[in-house]
Amino acid sequence: MAETVRGSAAGPEAVVARTGPPDVRGTASPWALSIFGAGISALVLVIGGVALVQVVYALEGGRITSGCRAVGLVPFTPQTPTSPAAGIKGAEGVCNIVEAARATPTTLLLWLGVVVGVAALAAGFGTYRRMETRRRRELCITGAVLGIQAVVIGAFLLWFREGRVDRFASQFLNFERLQGYWVGFIGAAKNTLLLAFGGEIGGIVAGLVLAMLAISSRRAVRAPARAYINFFRGTPLLWQLSFFYFGIVLGLNLPLGVFAAAIIVFILNTGAYAAEVFRAGIQSIERGQMEAARSLGMTYLQAMRFAIVPQAVRRVIPPLMNEFVILIKDTALVLVLGLARDQLEIFNYAQEGYSSTFNATFFVVAAIAYLAVTLPLIRLVNIAERRLRGGLLGLNIGQQGL
Amino acid sequence: MNNDSSLVRLENVHKWFGSLHVLKGIDLSLAPQEVLVIIGPSGSGKSTLLRCVNLLELPTQGRVWFDGRNITDVRTDVDEVRTHIGIVFQAYNLFPHKTALQNITVALERVLRLGHNEARDRALQQLTRVGMAQKAEGYPGQLSGGQQQRVAIARALAMQPKVMLFDEVTSALDPELVGEVLEVMLRLAGEGMTMMVVTHEMGFAREVGTRMLFMDDGVIVEEGEPRELFYHPQTDRLRQFLAKVL
Ligand SMILES: Nc1ncnc2c1ncn2[C@@H]1O[C@H](COP(=O)(O)OP(=O)(O)O)[C@@H](O)[C@H]1O
Ligand SMILES: [Mg+2]
Repeated sequence: MAETVRGSAAGPEAVVARTGPPDVRGTASPWALSIFGAGISALVLVIGGVALVQVVYALEGGRITSGCRAVGLVPFTPQTPTSPAAGIKGAEGVCNIVEAARATPTTLLLWLGVVVGVAALAAGFGTYRRMETRRRRELCITGAVLGIQAVVIGAFLLWFREGRVDRFASQFLNFERLQGYWVGFIGAAKNTLLLAFGGEIGGIVAGLVLAMLAISSRRAVRAPARAYINFFRGTPLLWQLSFFYFGIVLGLNLPLGVFAAAIIVFILNTGAYAAEVFRAGIQSIERGQMEAARSLGMTYLQAMRFAIVPQAVRRVIPPLMNEFVILIKDTALVLVLGLARDQLEIFNYAQEGYSSTFNATFFVVAAIAYLAVTLPLIRLVNIAERRLRGGLLGLNIGQQGL
Repeated sequence: MNNDSSLVRLENVHKWFGSLHVLKGIDLSLAPQEVLVIIGPSGSGKSTLLRCVNLLELPTQGRVWFDGRNITDVRTDVDEVRTHIGIVFQAYNLFPHKTALQNITVALERVLRLGHNEARDRALQQLTRVGMAQKAEGYPGQLSGGQQQRVAIARALAMQPKVMLFDEVTSALDPELVGEVLEVMLRLAGEGMTMMVVTHEMGFAREVGTRMLFMDDGVIVEEGEPRELFYHPQTDRLRQFLAKVL
């Protein structure tokens, strides 16, 4: 029995044995693969189909249909001596979106996606228990889950486009209203990063010093650091910005710009949070490390510098990066300070754009801008965390001679 | 006051951890080239005693003399004293972010202020002495326990200490790795290094120790020539302890 099993699988198994651990998930089957494929197809039909029709309409471009006119999507005409300004800026683009959403191909694709999704979900959940290998079972379940997602999204889109798509699109998706603002948005993104980077880098330095004070065995050293940390963690950043700028800078007439004041407050605030992160990191290093360093005759500060902090820094990279992501979003709070136009950061800039056009597409673009920065960072945090948990980060950095 | 020839001397040393009385009046002295072995049940205060010698623990009461100086005096430069006292721990405590070589050179360069090349030479020399020169560029995580412990010994030796303290340095090792570490210690003793060795390796204690202490509950219960203690224990406590470990 064992003989025949080994004999029959000798070829592929011999290869697997040499390249890695044995495959315990087993083989796939046409049925399981079909369900998985159906789930994926359903999702692609629903999301990709709708997007594809939108792209095709956008590329054809620029017609105002009677349907659009009927709901008030009229091209903009500036004021003339004889008539007032009329219509909507960017009406063509909005009309495209509305028409594409209501187009027959969209309807077909959505319904097709929903039907395939229901099929995947029914077949997947109906048969996964009977699958003979782990891989088949997983394929069935995954196909069914993707089917559910397709059905939910498809149903939502079908329902949504029965409503006032024109209003939604002209409010949130009128990208032509951003003409003349794109360059400004890039400048705003630069300012956001400048505020966040300035705050983070200064904050890390301040935090390291504060952490060293906060872990002192002498209460007289510890107490002021703790007071500082607790104060800045215990009051809103918004309050800190307002108080520092209006109260201190303006109130005492200090020669300090808004932007510089904002960076200083971000440094002070981040310093408090980074200090806690560093303190936890330093205290997570085994006591024996400090003892070994001190036993070699190092002073406390030398032991910190050469033995403890280099190890702690590795452990605090993920939480510090998290703080950084939070800070990027918190830069939006400088809104209260009233920055000059070229100092505006993403949110502030979007707010400005909105105020002058009353079109919320600016906020949509702002969200995209934030995500463009934060998503890669969040991904980096996750990678760093995984490496650290695997115990690899310290070793890898060490081997690079850092 | 300290006109004897001892290198290390403890005078009525007491240590409290909070309300826990861990050392209860320890008196001992260590002459140059002695190998003093300390045995005793877990929790009896052996590590604390050893750590009082290089002031990793400050005695709550009593005095510690090193090389004719009262090092428990507040005016002592403790960092300077520690450069003359090597200690090796049960858990190795190598710096994981530094190579074997860097583990040794960091103190040579930063504490003894040796130049880069001189520190490197001296470190390699000590690594050779413990048979670890070929792993000089390895990180602790890449070394076996026995190899790490030998690097830790080399790190302590590189400071050219006058006395070496060993705190159960083989207790964390897999049995087959114990020998290579004991062998290094045996060689050190043979070269005339002054040593204080807390250990559960009774064979080593008997063969290498020039004197032995048996501690229990914070006091030195018996003291003498190792074989004498092993073969003619005077107290029930030592008899019971030996019955358990032998
Ligand atoms: N830093 C410390 N704080 C509190 N109690 C301690 C500390 N170090 C050791 N002890 C206690 O002191 C006693 C003696 O410990 P130790 O010297 O390590 O014993 P041994 O090395 O003989 O096993 C034990 O009860 C231990 O729990
Ligand atoms: Mg111990």
